[in-house]
Amino acid sequence: MARVELKHVSKSFGSTKVIRDVSMSIEEGEFAVFVGPSGCGKSTLLRMIAGLEETSEGEIFIGGDDVTDEEPADRGVSMVFQSYALYPHMTVADNMSFGLRMAHRPKAEIKDKVGRAAKILQLEEYLERKPAQLSGGQRQRVAIGRAIVRDPKVFLFDEPLSNLDAELRVQMRVELAKLHRVLGNTMIYVTHDQTEALTMADRIVVLRSGRIEQIGTPDSLYQDPDNAFVAGFIGSPRMNFLKATAQAGGRLAVGGREVDSPVRTTLEPGRKLQLGLRPEHLDQNEGIGLEASVEFVESMGSTSFVHATLASGETIIAERRSSQPRAGDKITLHFALASARLFGDDGERIR
Amino acid sequence: MVSGAGKRQRLALRIAAVPMGLLALSCLYPIFFAVNNAFKTRDDYMRDRFGLATQPTLDNFVQAWTRAHLNEYFLNSVIATLGAVILLMVVSSMAGFALASLRFPYRRFLFAVILSSLMIPVQVVLVPFMRTMLALNLVNTHIGLILSYTAFFLPFSVYMMTAFYSGLPRELIEAARIDGAKLLQVWWHVMLPLGMPALVTLAILNTLSCWNDILISLLVMQKHRTLMVGISALKGQYSDQIPLFTAGIVIAAAPIVVLYILFQRRIVSGIAVGAVKG
Repeated sequence: MARVELKHVSKSFGSTKVIRDVSMSIEEGEFAVFVGPSGCGKSTLLRMIAGLEETSEGEIFIGGDDVTDEEPADRGVSMVFQSYALYPHMTVADNMSFGLRMAHRPKAEIKDKVGRAAKILQLEEYLERKPAQLSGGQRQRVAIGRAIVRDPKVFLFDEPLSNLDAELRVQMRVELAKLHRVLGNTMIYVTHDQTEALTMADRIVVLRSGRIEQIGTPDSLYQDPDNAFVAGFIGSPRMNFLKATAQAGGRLAVGGREVDSPVRTTLEPGRKLQLGLRPEHLDQNEGIGLEASVEFVESMGSTSFVHATLASGETIIAERRSSQPRAGDKITLHFALASARLFGDDGERIR
Repeated sequence: MVSGAGKRQRLALRIAAVPMGLLALSCLYPIFFAVNNAFKTRDDYMRDRFGLATQPTLDNFVQAWTRAHLNEYFLNSVIATLGAVILLMVVSSMAGFALASLRFPYRRFLFAVILSSLMIPVQVVLVPFMRTMLALNLVNTHIGLILSYTAFFLPFSVYMMTAFYSGLPRELIEAARIDGAKLLQVWWHVMLPLGMPALVTLAILNTLSCWNDILISLLVMQKHRTLMVGISALKGQYSDQIPLFTAGIVIAAAPIVVLYILFQRRIVSGIAVGAVKG
């Protein structure tokens, strides 16, 4: 168990900078999730913490020790790869014990640790099998087992669930969260899937183009995003962004009507803004109404998502839990002013 | 129409079978000739060169093995071939691992040099090769021949192992590094076992090349002959004793034929790998 700290960390491949001056700390025992669109540098950052990529600038500390120039094996980290990276010629038991064997640990200790990990992960009956004889989920568990037996200070997960089918992914998500509770180690998890981030993380780090956009608890990112990028990335379906213009008297022109400004900041009349409304917040019976005509309806069973066009010509997605409108219907979408988020046209949040 | 096309196709196949059959015969007949005559007595051979052996005898084999020193030559060939093949496997696996998976300066340049040496035939470098061997006092030693074979057959082996290892996922090496394996341990525990399919193919191909080589061993092993050199010398020494000579040929070819039968499938696929990628 250890704290992980990054101080002004940068990484360049040739002339392209993929990580730009990242500083953050991940607390002892915390489950941190790096999330962002592909190419945002989240995997690179994880691999830098693992020691698989060199750090061009800045320092990395694990448990208070500067590990910036340490070998991966000397950092006290374990990593689970997206492809599992199991040694195909070794049995499950040999795969899991490889790290301990490399460290020349006594046989009894190796057997004991592998046995315990196999028990936690329900792999006991597969110990003598080769990876090729296992299902995707079992392989995934072996990869996690290999990480557990080394008793690392920090677990690193690089998109470990993306090769599994949807059902198994949900199941493994729960198992990983449970595992974190049982083991209590610091864990860093990389994913491009915001649902995984929201459901598993103690804290989420949202990255874009090698920079941190925001760090916070799932709830704070969802409720209180710092910018339009985070607001749009967290939550599904994504937040609607409507063009708004500040009017005199603290009002906003949006979606073909005028509404009160949701923020206390005085806005210069004529300023271009974006009003962010989450689809799930547009299912009110009262509040501010926006006239819209329904284009089509995505039914999800318990709920449905209505794609509609506003008077201003903008499209908007709204959730409907009870009534189901049909395409062509005219409806009014109500929302509470407190649920709206306001952003400048540069994407910065206005509070 | 369909049946007409089918008939025509069958006819074409039958016509094609004729030259194929002749080609096969031209390969098989010398083998039959050698084996058949190896069992003949000298008189038997004089009376009828092409007929079947009337009084089959093993005497020719015994004679060739002992009097013509094939036993000695055989041992030399085994030592040189085995030594070179093992060395080739170890070195090409290590080099392939490094070239495919590690990052170091001039890696591409080094690979290009190795590739280009594939295009230089042995004959072109004979003089500098011989001078080097003499300077290093490696002439007439087993080590010298082992090193020569390794040097001449290494570029292709390295090329093939690099291609093979390039197809393995990088994460395997990274996982091993995180697990605490040093470079040599990664090679020994991960790359070497995973490279086995390619290495076995290489071992067979290199065994064929080393065993059948005459040119290099003729130069390097001037005092102690290898089997192939010994056999070609037999031709001059015992030109009137064709049965003895053919017995020598059978002895020399036998290990390779056995190897071929055992690993037939791998040899074909190995040559195909070379054909497509080389």
